[in-house]
Amino acid sequence: MSFLDIVIQLGRGLGYTLLVTLCCSVTGVLVGLIIACIRRIGFYWLRPLLDAYAYVFRGIPVLVLLFIVYFGFPSIGLKVTPLLAMVLSLGLISAAYLSEVFRGALNSVDADEILAAEAMGLSRLQVFNCIELPQMLRFSLPGMINEFTTVLKYSPFAYTVGIPEITKQAMTLSAATLHGVEIYFAVGVLYFLIFRILLFAVQLIEKRYRIPGLVLKQRSNI
Amino acid sequence: MPVIEVRDLVKKFGEQIILNGVNLDIYEGDLKVVMGSSGSGKSTLLRCLNRLEEPSGGRIVFRGENIMGADVDVRALRQSIGFVFQQFALYRHLSVLENVTLALRKLKKLSAAEAKHKALAELERLNMASHAGKYPSQLSGGQKQRVAIARALAMDPAVVFFDEPTSALDPLMTREVADMMNRLHDEGVTMLCVTHDLKLAGQISDKVVFLDKGIVRAEASIATLSQNHDDERIRAFFAREADY
Repeated sequence: MSFLDIVIQLGRGLGYTLLVTLCCSVTGVLVGLIIACIRRIGFYWLRPLLDAYAYVFRGIPVLVLLFIVYFGFPSIGLKVTPLLAMVLSLGLISAAYLSEVFRGALNSVDADEILAAEAMGLSRLQVFNCIELPQMLRFSLPGMINEFTTVLKYSPFAYTVGIPEITKQAMTLSAATLHGVEIYFAVGVLYFLIFRILLFAVQLIEKRYRIPGLVLKQRSNI
Repeated sequence: MPVIEVRDLVKKFGEQIILNGVNLDIYEGDLKVVMGSSGSGKSTLLRCLNRLEEPSGGRIVFRGENIMGADVDVRALRQSIGFVFQQFALYRHLSVLENVTLALRKLKKLSAAEAKHKALAELERLNMASHAGKYPSQLSGGQKQRVAIARALAMDPAVVFFDEPTSALDPLMTREVADMMNRLHDEGVTMLCVTHDLKLAGQISDKVVFLDKGIVRAEASIATLSQNHDDERIRAFFAREADY
């Protein structure tokens, strides 16, 4: 097996890792946002259900939920593809965490600003869209990058349901070449690079949307 | 016909009575100042008038129409009442210009260009046009309050409410805001201002309404009220505020 073969195989794995991470992160953000919005602006009867979801899904190990979805659902007649199983497990768990991140960020929106917007005559939905949402998204960026990183590092579980992502490729390669240490080292570097690029992208977004002059009050230790 | 006519207005929070039968008339072009110590019900009064709080009883007539009751279009009412807050309450993620254009775009449905034109005119009126591109955190307190006033005026309200507009400001900035309010008064803007700041009251009005324990105790000039008034509560208020 040539060096090029190894690179190609790791590259293919990299593609799957990115796909799984992307799908689960996007699911997490969308579902998390919807939950946080509903909790904030109404549908009071839905609230206990959403609270329960955020509570329970944060407590279940990813692998356990993945197996429930992938191996359990077919027994009740629901066929799930491996990627969908990842989205329904890792994606929904990260949605539960992100909904808490968004909730915290919503709580840091100044109540006076919301009152001022209501006093202007804006509807509840307009106040949410124009004042709360744009601030909330900015405030939750650090928490979001945290969660994306977690999703990236949970993505190797995908191999247990047959997605040949990067860690799986490394296992195969290390058996075939007997150069396990080098290969796993290379894989470690690859994960770190993905993380670094992700961080860079978020920092760009953060810079682009930073509010000029705003310094959130920090307590100094001096 | 008064712009706002308040009769026997009552507001209770549970057992606690905040407003206990307030009567007040605001006519077009008035700069009406309501004074009182904290807890006298001043802010609650303002919030009842634009239905941020639900009044418990009495009657509020706004431009000839009763605005009590569940069938009143509260959002339309609020659009005709400008509101300026103690802590400025500027939207911190929006520039000065966007703070002023927001309601014009969302409520008056003006185009971006029209809204900008109107907003710049209002900012110009408050001498803030040169700061239009800045963000709230880049402004001083007095400048923030002027932007907040421009934001309120942009909707061409029938009346502008000021809720303790200077209590977060130092004396110099208080002067700055007071000067602006005087100019707006000269231009005919109808205003209702609640405050416990004697300096502000002295600078903008020669006649104030004194509110205490949820009722109007007196309506007179500051000079009359501060000169050994026969009402003990008023004497106590002025003694306290003068020390301050």
